[in-house]
Amino acid sequence: MRCSLDWVHRASLGAMLAAASGSASAYTATLTPASPKAVYLQVGNGTFAGPINCLGSGSDCYSSGGTPVSNATVNTVSVTLAAATVGNGTAQAMTTNSTAANSYWDGFAFCSVPAQLYIGGFYRTTGAATAAAQVTATVPAALTNGSGGTIKFSQITWTSSGNGDTAGNGFLPEVFPGGTFVNGGTQTVGSMASNTWNESCWNFSYLNTAVPGAGTYTGAVLYTMTSP
Amino acid sequence: MSTARRATFFLALAFGIIWAATARAKSITIDDSGSAAIEPSVLMRWKTAAPTRSAAGKLMVGTTTIRVRINVMPWLKHSGRIYLALPAQQPGPINLSWTTQGRFMAGQLASGNRVLVYAGPITTPFMEDTLTFQFSVDGALMRRAVPVTYHFEMDEE
Repeated sequence: MRCSLDWVHRASLGAMLAAASGSASAYTATLTPASPKAVYLQVGNGTFAGPINCLGSGSDCYSSGGTPVSNATVNTVSVTLAAATVGNGTAQAMTTNSTAANSYWDGFAFCSVPAQLYIGGFYRTTGAATAAAQVTATVPAALTNGSGGTIKFSQITWTSSGNGDTAGNGFLPEVFPGGTFVNGGTQTVGSMASNTWNESCWNFSYLNTAVPGAGTYTGAVLYTMTSP
Repeated sequence: MSTARRATFFLALAFGIIWAATARAKSITIDDSGSAAIEPSVLMRWKTAAPTRSAAGKLMVGTTTIRVRINVMPWLKHSGRIYLALPAQQPGPINLSWTTQGRFMAGQLASGNRVLVYAGPITTPFMEDTLTFQFSVDGALMRRAVPVTYHFEMDEE
């Protein structure tokens, strides 16, 4: 009986040692996503704060550590027609006052100004790939001259490209493809997959199939990015 | 009888030698309950503010500083090899790099592995250092906060 008790005692001691050994701990760090969602859309000129001279381009970009800030500039795209050419059905190339020629990602000479208008941005989100963010254009029914004259917005079309964009490098088709404005309403002009930088250059044309009265016709298109 | 006993002895000795040659050093998790984090959690941010056009910019990184204090009393006055181990775990592949104040070695490792941070005599009951860790995780895996566990382990010689 005494022998048996002694055995129990030793067994208990063994258990205590095992427990002490098991107390050796592992350290746990909690990884917390901070500010995980972000969207950025730039049509025409943009502004970045931070280092300049991106890859020797003289401008700023993300790759040099730049951070985008709000830019209230509204760039224009325009064309002036000689009286003899009005309504002759020959499309007229439009030019922009935007000076955004280099990619705002890496400073690459991406667009040709004043012929092309830069559009770019990204949609940042954590987690697995989600539905793409949509970029839409809110378009008035017509351009107006302030005295009752109008030109339908559908007279304006655009094509899309970008220096260096090829199917081989995966940058074609353009994420912001060519199109034609609707006459009033909202239309989708592109989409951005999550966690990718997206950019294209647009060449606008005036179809010139209408014969409006002489004057200056203007209209503003609002581009909006909406993330899931 | 005497010959048989002697043969048994040599056989046992032979087995013992073979066992010693093939045995791995035993790894024991070291008590690091004395460690303390300076920041309560590791804030993970995008490594680059914007992604790349090729979708390669999805990496999130976060940094934290830990005052490491491990209890090496059981190995006092012995030599030991101490490893930092990052087990394979959720949310998926994790890369960890760290700098030190000099008591341990700086290094880096991927989850599922371990890296030597100290080799030599154990001369004090506790070993302390301040380590700055940087975690790197694919942002696609970081929908929510996730606990990540690592530990120090001693290879007994």
